[in-house]
Amino acid sequence: MSTMAEVIEPTAGTISAADLASSQHSRATVGDVTVADPRMTCRGVDVWYGAKQAIKGVSLDIGKHEVVSMIGPSGCGKSTFLRCLNRMNDTIDGCRVTGSIKLDDVDIYDAGLDPVPLRAQVGMVFQKPNPFPKSIYENIAYGPRIHGLTNNKAELDDLVETSLRKAGLWEEVKDRLDQPGTGLSGGQQQRLCIARTIAVSPEVILMDEPCSALDPIATAIIEELIDELREHYSIAIVTHSMQQAARVSQRTAYFHLGDLIEVGETNDIFTNPKHKLTEDYITGRFG
Amino acid sequence: MTEPSHPGKTPADLTAGHTVRRYDRELAKLRGIILTMGDHVVEQTRAAVAAVVEREETQAFRVLDREPQVDYLSLDADEEAFRVIIRHQPTAVDLRIVLALSKIAAELERAGDKAARIARQALELAQPGRGADLLAEDLQVVFRILDDEVCCMLERSLHAVRDFDVAQAVEIFESEPELQDAAASLRQRFCQGSQDGLIPHQSVCLLTSAHALERIGNHASNIAEQVVYVALGQDVRYRNREILIETLRHHGY
Repeated sequence: MSTMAEVIEPTAGTISAADLASSQHSRATVGDVTVADPRMTCRGVDVWYGAKQAIKGVSLDIGKHEVVSMIGPSGCGKSTFLRCLNRMNDTIDGCRVTGSIKLDDVDIYDAGLDPVPLRAQVGMVFQKPNPFPKSIYENIAYGPRIHGLTNNKAELDDLVETSLRKAGLWEEVKDRLDQPGTGLSGGQQQRLCIARTIAVSPEVILMDEPCSALDPIATAIIEELIDELREHYSIAIVTHSMQQAARVSQRTAYFHLGDLIEVGETNDIFTNPKHKLTEDYITGRFG
Repeated sequence: MTEPSHPGKTPADLTAGHTVRRYDRELAKLRGIILTMGDHVVEQTRAAVAAVVEREETQAFRVLDREPQVDYLSLDADEEAFRVIIRHQPTAVDLRIVLALSKIAAELERAGDKAARIARQALELAQPGRGADLLAEDLQVVFRILDDEVCCMLERSLHAVRDFDVAQAVEIFESEPELQDAAASLRQRFCQGSQDGLIPHQSVCLLTSAHALERIGNHASNIAEQVVYVALGQDVRYRNREILIETLRHHGY
């Protein structure tokens, strides 16, 4: 058991001065940003949109088989940081990313690295379900086909079924695989998008407010799914629902004005956060 | 001085400052119920002890009549705590406040029961043929010392709840040995009842009263533990008291 002194005194994280040197204005993160078994390792990440710095020297690990939730007020940089993890920000004009982001010790910003296969390894689920205007089957089959993951139709059929099963959608759609994905309900469409992400064998799944457009029942189904997916994948989720962060994640990171203020075990963050900004945000005293 | 887990915030601010101001009002209401309960329990304890020491039968009946008030307040506290949880899903310090106040309500409800138990002993003592004589002067003094010690602890614990004041909680922990000494001294005297001219039945009634008083003091200590839990986020129940006091003092409380 931790001693009183350990718990009373806020601990500065394990970021070294060198990690933080790349950003002049970043604040030291409270809590340990590292995990014993990381899948992704981010150190001193800065993001600029033109002259405006959106992320300031953020360091954070995403461990294997864990769900990390990222919370914070609008504009705090949590979605920007999430999009750095599979180079989605590359598509934004004037966006510049510095620092180090590694997937299994490979620098994902290495000039020679093709971002297309990276985005299969680090898949993304967006706020609004965005199925392709194709059949349910084709929504899933498209990714494996372009990445050459299967050799024949039978293998592809298997992969479609497996992916839909993992996304908890198979039983609901197995008899109408040829119907348009856009004809499904919002919750089903989101699970279809998750199945599409799973189909290309990712290591990490990024979720940007995946339930914000869904009703409570569909949200509960997605949350249950997230818990099941954790067994096979690392998951980073951005959410505005603190109850959702508390329910689905093992670790929580709190962002504020581009800084990673605090990171820790979700239970600790929601019962005894160490930083005043975190406490003010999660208790509704913000702003 | 070591910072608490919510640097920059004074303990008195803990229940205030929510963007939704109704949240502040509901937390304040919950705490208000607890403090009212506490005031009742202190009053009940003093009256019950006076009934025993001074053979005030009327006081004893009054204590028993008023006992349900504390019980009803504990029901109100539970209802208010549920309401806060349902409406606001409290987290962090707010969650600790709601959990702690709910436990404090239970402590006070039990302390109220002990005061009633003391009052019942006063009525037993007042029964004809059961030694209705006043207690010996020096025995009254010892009893009152224990009463003062207990009520002082209880009042201090309520002050600590008012501001979630860790320093006050530490003072309560520090006064525990005095409570134990005073209780032990009384126990010893009642066990040797013949010295004070007590008949066995009187000794049992007084011993029961002294034990109930000591337990009220223990409830005050338990309340102080909850104050530390709210303010520092540390559950200090079952911790070695000496080490706990030393650690908290070391951190400037």
